[in-house]
Amino acid sequence: MKKVILPLAKSRAKFLVFLLIIEIAILSALNPEFAKVNNLIEILQFGATLFLMAVGEALVIMVIPGGIDISIGSIMSLCCVILGLTYQKTGSLLAAILITLAAGALLGAVNGILVGLFNMPSLIATLGTQYVFASLALYVTNGVAISGFPESFKWLSLEMTFGVPNQILFMVIPVLIVVLFLIYKTRFGRNIYLTGDNAEAAKFAAVKTKQTIFFVFVLAGVLTAFSAIINCSWLMTARADAGSGMEMNAITVAMLGGISAVEGGRGHLSGVIVATVLITMLKSGLQMAGINSIWILAITGVILVVSIVVNNVMNQLVEKVNTN
Amino acid sequence: MFKKYIPHPTKREGFAIALLVAEIILFSIFVPNFANVNNFIRVVQNNSEVAIISIGMTIVMLLGGIDLSVGAVMGVVAVVVGYMIMAGISTLLIIPAAAAIGILVGAVNGLIISKLHIPDMLTTLATGNVWKAVIFGLLGGKWMTSLKPSFRGITTAKVAGIPVLLFLVLLVYAVFYYIFMYRKYGRHIYAIGCNEEAAVLSGINVARIRFGSYCLTGALAGLTGLLYIARMGSVEMTIGTNTAIQCIAAVTIGGIGAKGSGTRGSVIGTLAGVFFIGFLKNGIVIMGIPSLLENFFVGMLMIICVLFDSVSAMRRSAKPAEKGAA
Repeated sequence: MKKVILPLAKSRAKFLVFLLIIEIAILSALNPEFAKVNNLIEILQFGATLFLMAVGEALVIMVIPGGIDISIGSIMSLCCVILGLTYQKTGSLLAAILITLAAGALLGAVNGILVGLFNMPSLIATLGTQYVFASLALYVTNGVAISGFPESFKWLSLEMTFGVPNQILFMVIPVLIVVLFLIYKTRFGRNIYLTGDNAEAAKFAAVKTKQTIFFVFVLAGVLTAFSAIINCSWLMTARADAGSGMEMNAITVAMLGGISAVEGGRGHLSGVIVATVLITMLKSGLQMAGINSIWILAITGVILVVSIVVNNVMNQLVEKVNTN
Repeated sequence: MFKKYIPHPTKREGFAIALLVAEIILFSIFVPNFANVNNFIRVVQNNSEVAIISIGMTIVMLLGGIDLSVGAVMGVVAVVVGYMIMAGISTLLIIPAAAAIGILVGAVNGLIISKLHIPDMLTTLATGNVWKAVIFGLLGGKWMTSLKPSFRGITTAKVAGIPVLLFLVLLVYAVFYYIFMYRKYGRHIYAIGCNEEAAVLSGINVARIRFGSYCLTGALAGLTGLLYIARMGSVEMTIGTNTAIQCIAAVTIGGIGAKGSGTRGSVIGTLAGVFFIGFLKNGIVIMGIPSLLENFFVGMLMIICVLFDSVSAMRRSAKPAEKGAA
C-alpha cells in the first residue's frame, strides 16, 4: 500500500494522472458522447486559455509566500477589448496582436511595480487593479461586445492542423516550451524558486528579489494576453467581461496542480498541466450535463478548498515518511 | 473619569479624517447640488450597509486576513429574509434569524480557515462563489420585488432632521470602538495582528479568535441584509457584487491593509474610509461621470492608500533607529 501511495504523494503529476483516469471513466460512463474524439478536441481548445493563465498564476503564487494575482481575469478582459479596438483602428491583425501582448506586459508590470518594488500585499494590490482594469474595459466599450474580426482570425482557434487544434499547436506548445525553459533551465527560473522559498536568503545570495517578482507579474500579464487573443479568436468577438471568473479557475488549477498556497517556491508546473486538463474536462462534463455556469463556478470553489487540503495532507504524509 | 473613553484617533486615522473633510469641502465648492442636507442624508442611507460590514472587515484585516465573501453572505441572508417576509413571519423572529444565518455562514469560513489552515483569501474567494450559486439557486433566476417588511421605516426615519440610520451606524461603531480599545477580545485582535507568534506564546487562543471574527463578520453581514431589504424592497441576482471591494477599500483608506499594520488604526479610520468612498461615489454621479468608472476610482484610491502605507513602512524599516517612534 505504501509503495502505491508514496509516489503519488510525492509527485503531484502522477497523482493527478491517476485522478484523471478515474474522472474520464466516470464521465464517459455517465455520458457516452464524452469520450468521442470531437469532444476531447473541444476540451483541448477550451483548456488553452485557462492553461496559459494558470501557468502565470502558478508562478506568482510560487514567487511570493502566500502571494496571489487576483487581477488576471480583468487583465484578460482588458486585453480582449484592446485587441478589438486596435484592430478596428489599425485594420491590421498583426499590429493588434502585438499591441495586445505589449498591453498585457504593461498591465502585469503595474502589478509588478506595486507588489515587487513597493512591497504592497499582493492580494490588496491586485484586488485594486482588478477593479481598475475591469471598469476600464467596461467603460471603453460601454459594455458592448466588439465584433468585426476578419474571417482569417478564425484560423487560430477554430481550425486544426494535422488533427491538432491550432491554438494548441501554434500557441500553447511554443509558449509552454519557452516558459518551461525559462523556469527550469535559466537563472531567472531558479531565482523564482529561491525568492519564493526564502526571500531573505535569496537576497544574501545576490538574487534581485524585487526584480524577480516584478518580472513574474509581467510574465503572468503576457501569458494572459496570449489567452485573451485565443479567446477573441474562439468567440470572434471581444467582450469586456471575457475574463470574469477566470482568476478563480486559474487559482484552482494552480492549487490542484500542487503549488503551495502558504509556502513559496513549492510545486512543479507539470502538475499545473495535468490539473488544467482535469478541470477543463470536469467543466465540459458538467456543461454537457446541462448544469448552469454559476454552479460550475461554485463547484470549482469547492475543488479549490479540497485541493489545498489535499496539498497539506500529502505534504504531511511525505514529511512523516521522510522523518521515519 | 470618562475622559479616557473619548475616541483618540491615531495619526494615520487623523489623516483619513482629513482626507474626508477635504473631499467634502472640495466637492461642496466645485460640484453644484452637492452641499445640501438631502444629499448628505442620501449618502448616509446608501452607505450604512457598507459601514456596518466594514467593521467585520476591519477585524478580519487586523488579524492579517481578508473576507471576499461578505457581499455574497449578505445576499444569502437577504434572500432568505425575503422569503420569510413573503411567508408573513413576524419581524421579531426575522431579525434573530438573519443574525443566526449570518453567523452560520460566517462559521463555515471560520472553520475552513482556522481548522483546515487554508489561506483566508482563497477560502473566502471559494465560499463567495458557492454562496453566489446558492443565491442563484434560491432565487431561481427571478427577482424578488415589492417586499414590504415592517422594519422598512428604519432607512427613512429621522429624528430632529438627522436620519436614524446615522445614529444606528454611529452606535455600532461606538460599541466596537469600546470593544477594540477596552475589552479583552479587542486587545487580543491587536496582539495577533501585531505578532501572531507572540500572541500564541502569551496564551491567546488564536484559532478561536480568528474563528469568532469570521462568525462576527457573518453576523454583521446578515444584519446588513435586513437593511438592504428595508432600503431596496427587492433582491436580485447581483446583490452584493461590489460590497467586498468597498469594504476593503474603506478599511485600507482607514490605514489597515499594508504589511505589518496590525498596530495601527481602529474603526474610526474605517468609518472615515466608508464615508470617503460614499461621498466620492455620490460626487461622481452628480458630476455626470459614468457610473461604470465608479470601481475605477475606488480601486485607484485603495491602491494609492496602501501604496502610501507600504512605502512609509519600508522607510521605517530602513531606519531601524526610528523603529520605536511609530
